[in-house]
This record gives sequence, structure tokens and C-alpha cells, in this order.
Amino acid sequence: MTVARVRLRVNGHAVERTVAARRSLADLLREDLGLTGTHVGCEHGVCGACTVLVDGRTARACLLLAVQLEGAEVTTVEGLTPPEGLSVLQESFRECHALQCGFCTPGMLATAHELLAENAAPTRDEIRAAIAGNLCMCTGYVNIVRAIELAARRLAR
Amino acid sequence: MTGWVGRPLARKEDARLLAGRGRYLDDVCRPGQLHAAMLRSPHAHARIAGLDAREVAAIPGVHAVLTGADAAALSHPIRPLIPTAVPLDDWCLAVDRVRYAGEPVAAVAAVDRATAEDALETIRVEYEPLPAVVDPEAALRPDSPLLYPALGTNVLWHDVLAYGDVAGAFARADGVLRERFEIQRYASTPLETFGAIAEYDAGLDAYTFWTNDQRPGLTLAILADSLGVPQSRLRLITPDIGGAFGNKRRPAYLLVCALLARRAGRPVKYVEDRLENLGALMHACNGVMDVELAYRSDGTMLGLRVRDVADEGKNLISPTQHNLIKLGNIVNGYRIGAVSYEAYSVLTTKCPSGANRGIGKPFMCFAVERAVALLARRLRLDPAELRLRNYVAREEMPYTTPPGAQYDSGDYAATLRRALERFDYRGWRERQAHARAEGRLLGIGIATSVEPAGTNLASYELITGRRAASGSAEAAMVRLEPDGRVRAALGDPACGQGYETVVAQIVADELGLTPADVHVERGFDSATTPWLYLSGNYSNKFSVTDVGAVVGAARAVRDKLLRIAAHRLEAAVDDLELAEGQARVRGVPGRGLPLRELARTAYADVLGLPPGEPPGLEARHAHQNPLAQPLGADRTVRSQLVFSNAAHCCLVEIDRLTGMVRILRHVVVHDCGRELNPLIVEGMVHGSTVHGLGAALLEEFRYDANGQLLTSTFMDYLKPTAADVPDIEVDRLEHPSPFTPLGAKGVGEGGSIPAPAAVASAVEDALAELDVTVRSLPITPERVWRWLRGR
Amino acid sequence: MKPAPFDYVRARTLDEALAALDADSKILAGGQSLVPMLNMRLVRPTRVVDINALPGLDGVRARADGGLDIGALTRHSDVLTAPLVKERAPLLAAAAAHVGHRAIRNRGTIGGSLAHADPAAELPAALLALDASALIAGRGGRRRVRLDEFLVGALTTALRADEILIGIEIPDARGAGWGFAEVARRPGDFAIAGVAALVQGGRDRCDSARLVAFGAHERPVRLRGAESVIAGASASAALGEQAAARTAADCRPPDDVHATAEYRAHLVRVLSEQAVRDAMSRTAG
Repeated sequence: MTVARVRLRVNGHAVERTVAARRSLADLLREDLGLTGTHVGCEHGVCGACTVLVDGRTARACLLLAVQLEGAEVTTVEGLTPPEGLSVLQESFRECHALQCGFCTPGMLATAHELLAENAAPTRDEIRAAIAGNLCMCTGYVNIVRAIELAARRLAR
Repeated sequence: MTGWVGRPLARKEDARLLAGRGRYLDDVCRPGQLHAAMLRSPHAHARIAGLDAREVAAIPGVHAVLTGADAAALSHPIRPLIPTAVPLDDWCLAVDRVRYAGEPVAAVAAVDRATAEDALETIRVEYEPLPAVVDPEAALRPDSPLLYPALGTNVLWHDVLAYGDVAGAFARADGVLRERFEIQRYASTPLETFGAIAEYDAGLDAYTFWTNDQRPGLTLAILADSLGVPQSRLRLITPDIGGAFGNKRRPAYLLVCALLARRAGRPVKYVEDRLENLGALMHACNGVMDVELAYRSDGTMLGLRVRDVADEGKNLISPTQHNLIKLGNIVNGYRIGAVSYEAYSVLTTKCPSGANRGIGKPFMCFAVERAVALLARRLRLDPAELRLRNYVAREEMPYTTPPGAQYDSGDYAATLRRALERFDYRGWRERQAHARAEGRLLGIGIATSVEPAGTNLASYELITGRRAASGSAEAAMVRLEPDGRVRAALGDPACGQGYETVVAQIVADELGLTPADVHVERGFDSATTPWLYLSGNYSNKFSVTDVGAVVGAARAVRDKLLRIAAHRLEAAVDDLELAEGQARVRGVPGRGLPLRELARTAYADVLGLPPGEPPGLEARHAHQNPLAQPLGADRTVRSQLVFSNAAHCCLVEIDRLTGMVRILRHVVVHDCGRELNPLIVEGMVHGSTVHGLGAALLEEFRYDANGQLLTSTFMDYLKPTAADVPDIEVDRLEHPSPFTPLGAKGVGEGGSIPAPAAVASAVEDALAELDVTVRSLPITPERVWRWLRGR
Repeated sequence: MKPAPFDYVRARTLDEALAALDADSKILAGGQSLVPMLNMRLVRPTRVVDINALPGLDGVRARADGGLDIGALTRHSDVLTAPLVKERAPLLAAAAAHVGHRAIRNRGTIGGSLAHADPAAELPAALLALDASALIAGRGGRRRVRLDEFLVGALTTALRADEILIGIEIPDARGAGWGFAEVARRPGDFAIAGVAALVQGGRDRCDSARLVAFGAHERPVRLRGAESVIAGASASAALGEQAAARTAADCRPPDDVHATAEYRAHLVRVLSEQAVRDAMSRTAG
């Protein structure tokens, strides 16, 4: 079958769709579910703009077929945002001016989220290594590293 | 009138961007929209002998197809930027000939992108390949294959511009340094690719475009001409833009969408994918520069001769742009009294060239700063000392360079000294000596630059011989709404620079409010935003021209508020001030009116207005930067208007065994005059510097002899990641411009200009024992290894 | 960049997966190599067989002989962090750390990397150095193929169109010294060239070595000239350099947009020396 049904959870909500087998998770999120916070930058897995969390781990939404996600738990930037205001990580980004055009930011947040969940006090080098798979064309990365450091300190309290 | 401007405020736009609630072009969905895909030429150069798209209609979900022949029948050619000896018709799709691999030849609109791509595969095109020409110097030769045989040449422009006594300077010189430099093709590649949605209203015979085009004023003119529709029946809207840096414009794509939308009777969206973006949108010109620097034995630089060949690819829409901008920056920060610039703007069968971060200045600065570094080596002078001897001094400002650029303010010597201090230059020279003794290859490089802001389009008269557009101008609107809050709009769409915040800071200062009270419209909408042909995001013009429009509009509203308040309070206008959301009598607490109350008078209770005062509290203001002048009789021109400056110090270590270059430190001291928002300014310095580091070490669009792009994905075209660059250390001086509305100057391109030269000097310094000269970029590990191996 | 249309089968059992395979189908495991190719229409299978739901094909298990059994569907991230891998085949963990970035490693599988057989990939080379074998399932049963036979050429393996790689067997490497070195333009990129080394021996003598270069040939290649220098040699400080001097004859590196053959050959030499030195410092004793 060139179409298939898939049932998954996105940001805590159950979702069921019948989609073309060739449809990417990124397109499902953006077009079928209206969750346009996940961005597409290259469609070959290099730029990281489409990074989301799948079963708690980062993954490139452009390299996943939507139909593969049967039974999976997907978290996008919308799911990383509290109902009111911003998360500690997001607020740290804002204070440190860690975004300019904002296009890389959702993917960057997913990657930072995974890093801080595993490493509560990353060094600058560890931060840089962790985000090396997320391209940013605007910030030169300096403030992103500062923001993640700041968030780590705040979350540790 | 100060308070918010100058503060490092966090940005207002960030909350939505962080939450994933930005609205970029591909997030915009118009009811019934179709998706377009483009069929692109696999050949760099070929005649189109035939094109058969008849099978497309049979594919379910396809709603329209457009061929080059259709485009020629349904639209007027896109007018080239510069006149040519014979008219060169250029439509939004190739008609009888393709001139670069990736040039669009047909387009399809379908229910989704995947279906559109399926449909493309059914289109049969018969190509008759022609020889490619990929080297710009080869393209100059009389026997070169020609992109436009009717033109008889690939040279779109060739001229020699000379200023001052060049022959005399070279005759007087104690020596002449001669070098040839090359720059590679690269591009800023914003993370969001370019795209558009076109919607046609058959009843009104009108088009609406959503697009992340950064030059709406220019694009609307081209659309009107090509579609044969007056601008009053065109509307162009920009949403959030995911970075631009000059790359975000391609009117041809909007035309394709428009023609498909008209055919299909439904809106059509086209978003380039990354391969299309890398291969076919635009590259900064690569090229070759021959430099001759005449000097006295004490290091004083007397004259500069440059021969510059700029490779434009297949670019008719903006050729010569790189040449002109190089000319405006040719002497960098130095007092060089005689300059000769021979420029070629050459066509080749490659991706069109276009604006990029720095547009030509990175190469111009690379060539000059490399020449200065080599001169220092030749004369055994310290490279900082040589520069200090030749800088235009602070006291000489405003200083006019031979081609006519006016350096308005700045202390280039102080900038360099501060950079050396922040870098701990002396300390690192000692550490370097120790490291050398241990066999480690540490290198220190310096480069300094001027950074212009605000382009005066009159400079194009140098190319075209006539003045079609000129000056630097922008328009803005400020409106105090009936509820006392403020709305503002700017004809320059933000692409990440934080205009929603900075404009709010400026307006808040003028009206005695807080930035939270001022809503700045996201982006541009030609129906509601005031705009000019000159409107758009380019040339760092925000701080030097746009702010004038914002201030002018805000002040008009302020003045009106004061007049209404004076009338209602029965006070003199001069005794009133706007502060804390009120118009009040200075020094008399209690004698004031909130702005909301004044708005009620202006919008609702209009009988309460002063006699003769019309209702409303809205002002539109267009500001023309007074520094822009027409072309001088001696062919001098202020092609850009105010100049920031910067000094970069770079520390690298080279791995002896592999040739890998690691940047250990990169220090930037910059001076962009008054910083409207220091947090945003510093971010610009970080980001622009990393662009320069990428160009220095990683990025290169490489073509084979057949015009095929070899580095066509992000796996092969290498952008700098967080693991490739150090923390950029930034310090600042502030010499405000005496000539801009707020004393601010441009900062958007800054680091991208001198950073490549700083890295090149550092690598050369690390390899000093080998007497290596870095003349081209990027500096790859293999090149370093070959130097290490010796000749 | 959207794929051409294909059928999709989400296999629930190995037999179902095998039954679904034919000459025009592709196996979807991690997808980190396959999906970009699908997106660029560089491959156009009529059917994609998703094997991610097959039970029991992931995980790292200790073998009784001191080696490891690694399920083909084990994600690179899990190979990297598995205590058994660190203990019994640290060379593999070192190699896995160089694969792409975290998001890629979370999905990419060791079996996928091996089956894809990119000549510049780290894991096939490390596995060849470890003298691993591939466990393959087909309709007719199972077979085991040593890696030097499994890796045939660039993007080519001994897998037939109707077979699935289900596991990797690594013999006992405890006590062997290991070394891993590569040069890439940026961290996480495919290597320009690299070397994986496994040296058996004691404090004073090297008994044998397996040196594998990647990015140096059509497939990961044993540097037999260098190995022969090490075999039976006294463990001296210069041994690495001596071995490295004999690497060129075994390499036939490509010329491409990132590097010339000459530079790659040089890197193999330099990285061999480093890998051998590191391996020697890690041998037991």
C-alpha cells in the first residue's frame, strides 16, 4: 500500500492519520497537524532545523516517514512550551539573545533539552559538541552556548 | 528624548519564535493552495530543442503546468539591471536556451509537492548541449563560448575608474607589491529557503504574493512590469523571514507562481528545497583580483591599482553589484591617495551571482589586508605598526577617499589598539615563541576593515550612464491608536535583526512610552506599510536611513499630540513634554493628560481638536539620507553613506601532521557608532564573524569543467557548526556618526568582511618558517598540508 | 525534495520481512542513509520494508567466548553507551562516537551502517578490525559471513536482495589494545580518512595486529603491510612509525571534492601511526 494508517501521540495528544507512505514526519507535523514550529531546512538530515523528540530522544523529522511512528511519542517545540509563558530553557534563550531569525531555534531547543536531561552541568565544549548538529546561520552560536549554560545553572537550583 | 534606545533589551519577537509560533513563508497556508515544483536543466549550457509536457495533465492531482514558451507568451521579459548592447530577453523560465545547471525550464502546480515532483518526471525535454564556460578569465577570452551570442561577449561591464594621480604615485614609489588573489564562490545560505505564494483574483485582475523576499520595493516593480499589471493591483506581504543576508530574492519564482496560479485558478506556493537553494538561487561572486600597491620604504602606501574580474554566473538581474561595492571600499581604512580600479563583470554558465553578506567587501578587504600583511613582511615592519602609519586619522574625518566614499567618524588606530590589548597581543607573541620552541604551530593574524551602511543607488550611473534610481531612503508609519497604544510599520522587512524591538525602542523614546506599548508590524505589506522602490532589507541601511523614517513619523505624531494637549490643557506647546504615557506640563505634577485621552479627542471627540487640526494621530514619513549625492563629474560617488570600522585578531593552531586549522580565539573590536540595542549589535558581530570564518576555512561551491556543481548538498557544502568556531570575543568603541539621525551606523555585515583576512594572516603566521603566502580561500587542511610538505 | 511513491510494509516478524523483499525493495532501519536518498530520488524502490518493529533484533549481549552479539537494529547511541561494549569492544564505542550527531545516532543502526557500506564510514572499519562476522537471515535460513567477505565494495555487500542483516558477532577482543583515529572536515562528518587498530600482545611484544583504513579504498581495507611489521615485533616507540611507513601499498584512496588521493594516503599513514601507538599503550600488561 502506498498509504498507511498511523497512530501516534504528539505533544501528549493521540493522533491518527492515514498518510502516503512517503510523507515525512516533518510534513505530517507541519501540514496535517498544523504544528508549524518544526522547520524544514535541508531534507537530508544535516541542518537540524527539523529536530524533534521521538520517545524522548532527538531525531530528524525530515528523515522519518510519518508511517514509521506507529505507537511513538513525539514532542515538538510546541510540546516543550508551557501553557503560559516560556520554559526555563526558552527564557534563557530570550535573555541571552540566543536567536535572531528564529528558524533554527525549535530544533536547537530540542537538542538542548536532551543535553540538559542527561548532563545537568555541561561544559562549554560539551555544549558545543552537542549542538554541532544544529546549524545556525545568524547567531554565530556564542549566545546559544551562553543560554544553555544559564539554563543548566537555573535548572540545577 | 533618550531612555530606551541604547539599552540591551531582550527582544519582543522572541517569545513567539521560541514557542514555535513564528509564521514563516511555508507556514502560511492559503485556502486551496497548490504546490509547485520546477523542472531544472541538467546541463550547464544547452539549446532547448523541444519540450513536451503533455503527459503532465494525466497525473492525478496536477492542476497546471507552465513551460518557457508559456512564460514568454504570458509575461514580459524581466528587465536586466544594466543595459546591454542588444536586448537580452530573460523570462521566468528558460525559453530556448539554458545557461546554468539548475536553471528552471518548466513548472507544475499540484495538490502537494511530491505529486508535483512526480509530474515533472513526465516532462520530456530535448537538449542540445553546448560547451560550458566556468572560469571567469576563460569567459573573457574572444574564443570563449558565449551565453548570449547576440551580445558577442560574456562581459556585461568593463571599465577602468581612476582617481588621483595614479601614475605619479607609482612613479614616486620606492617599491610596488604585486599579488594575485582569488576568492571562491560561497553564499550566506539562510536556514529558511526562499519561497512565495501567489494568489490571483480573477474578478479584480489582481495578484497577492506572500514571500520572504527582502527587496519588496524592487520586486514589486519587476512583477508589475513582467505581469503587465499596475502596482495598484499587486500586493506583496512578507511574514517572518528566516534569515536573508542578501540571498532572499528571485522575482522569477514569484512570476512562475503567479502564472501558475492564474492558470490553475488556485493559489500556488513554491518553496525551494535545499538542493535548489544551493545550486540555483545565488552565490557571491567568485573571482580574481590583481593588486598593485605602491609604497614608500617607510611603509606609507601611495597608490593602489586593482584589476578585478567578478564571476557573475548567469546573472542579468544584479550584475556589477559586487564590483561597485568593492570600489566603494577599495582603500579600506587607509590614506591612499591614488586608486585605479579596472573591473570586469563576467557571465559564466553557473548559478547566478547575487547579494550576500558583505557583497564583494570580504574579497576587497581580503585583497587589501593581505597586501598590507605582505608589505609588512617585506619591509619587516610589525603588521599593526604598518597599519597605524597608514590609517585615516580620527581628526581627518570626515574624510573622502579617492573614489568618493566619505568616512564620517571613527578612530581606526584606537580600534586596532583596543583589539590588540583585548587579545593580549604581546602576551600571545611570547606564548607563540614558546610554542614554536616546542614544535607547535601557533599563528596570530590581524585584519581591520571599514564597514559601510546605506547604499546610494546613484552609484549605478557609473555602470549604466544614466540615473534611474538614486539615494538611500525608507518609509515608516507610526500611529497612535484610539486606545492610546501605538502601532508602527517599516518598509524594510526584518530578517532576524530585531526591528520589532529596536523600532519600538525608538518610538517609545519619542512618545514617552515603553517598548511594550509599541506594536511593530511583523514584516511588510504593500497595502498598509509605507514603502518606496528603495524599500527593503539591504546594505545595513536600517541604522542609518530607516531610523530617520521611524523618527520622522514618531515626531510627527509627537508634535500633534503636543498640539492637542496644549489646546486641551490651555498651555504652551513648549511647556509640555511626553513622558510616562502622558502629555504633561513640565514640572507641574497633575497637569497632564494620558495619551489615550488625547487619542479620544483625535479620533472620536473631534470637536475638541484645535482649530484647523485634522483628526487622527497617524503619520507616514519617508526619510532620505542626506549623505547620498549624485555622481560627480569626476566619476566619484558616495556609493555607501556611513562607515563603521572593526579590528579582528585571530589565533590559530595548525596540526603539523594533518594540516587541520583550529581557531583558538577570535577577538573583534568594532565601532558602529551609537548602539541602538547593544545586545542585538553584539549578536550581529558574532554571527557576521562566523560567516567570515566559514568562508575562510570551510565553504566553497565547486564546479567541474562541465559546469556541474560538485558541492550540492549540506554534506559537501560545509557550513560552520558550533564545534568549528570559538567564542567570538567582542569589545566596542563608540564614535557616533555626525550624519545619521541617531548617530548609529551599520553593523549587519561587520565581521564577515575582515574575518577571512584575519584567519589567512594567522595561518600564514603559523607557517612563518615556511614562507607561505595565502592568496585564496578556503584554507583547507589539504592545502595546509601541501604547504607543510614544502615545495 | 520528496520521494517517488513506494509501498510500505511494517514487518512484524522476520519471516514477514523476508517475504516482502524483492529486487526493487529497500529495508528501512534507522533511515539516516536511506531517507536522504529517497528524498533526493537517488533510489526509487517500489517497496520499503520497515524492520524497526522486528522483535529481538536490538541489544548487546555477552557471548560465552568473551565476545559480543549485537543486534543489527541496535542504535548507534546505544552501542556508544552500552557498558558491555565499553568493556569488551571499546574500539566500537570510539568509532560510534564519530558517527554524525546525536539525532542521527539515536536512529541510525549498526546493522544499517554495515549494510550501507559507505567506504568512509567508521563502524564497518571498526568491525573489520574486530574481525566481526555478519549474521544474515534469508528465506532459506541463516548464514554467517566474516566481514572481509561481507564488505565487497563501495556501497556493496554480500547481502542478497532477499536477505536481511540481523546481527553482528564480535569475537573476544578483551586484552587487545585498540586505537581509533580519523580526520574529518568537521566533527561528525564522514571521515576524509581514518584508521581502526586492534593490537594483540604484551608489554614487550606485539603478537599480531589488525589495522583497517577507511576512506582509503572502495571499502575498509586491511593495511597488511603495516600489520606484518607489527606481528611478532618488539614493542618499541618507533613501531607505530615503522608500520605507518608501509601503509601506502594497501590503499587506493579516492580523489574527490574534499580531498585528493595523495592527501588521503598521507592521512592513513599519520593516523595509522597514532592508532598503533594508542593501541600499543592499551595492550594488557
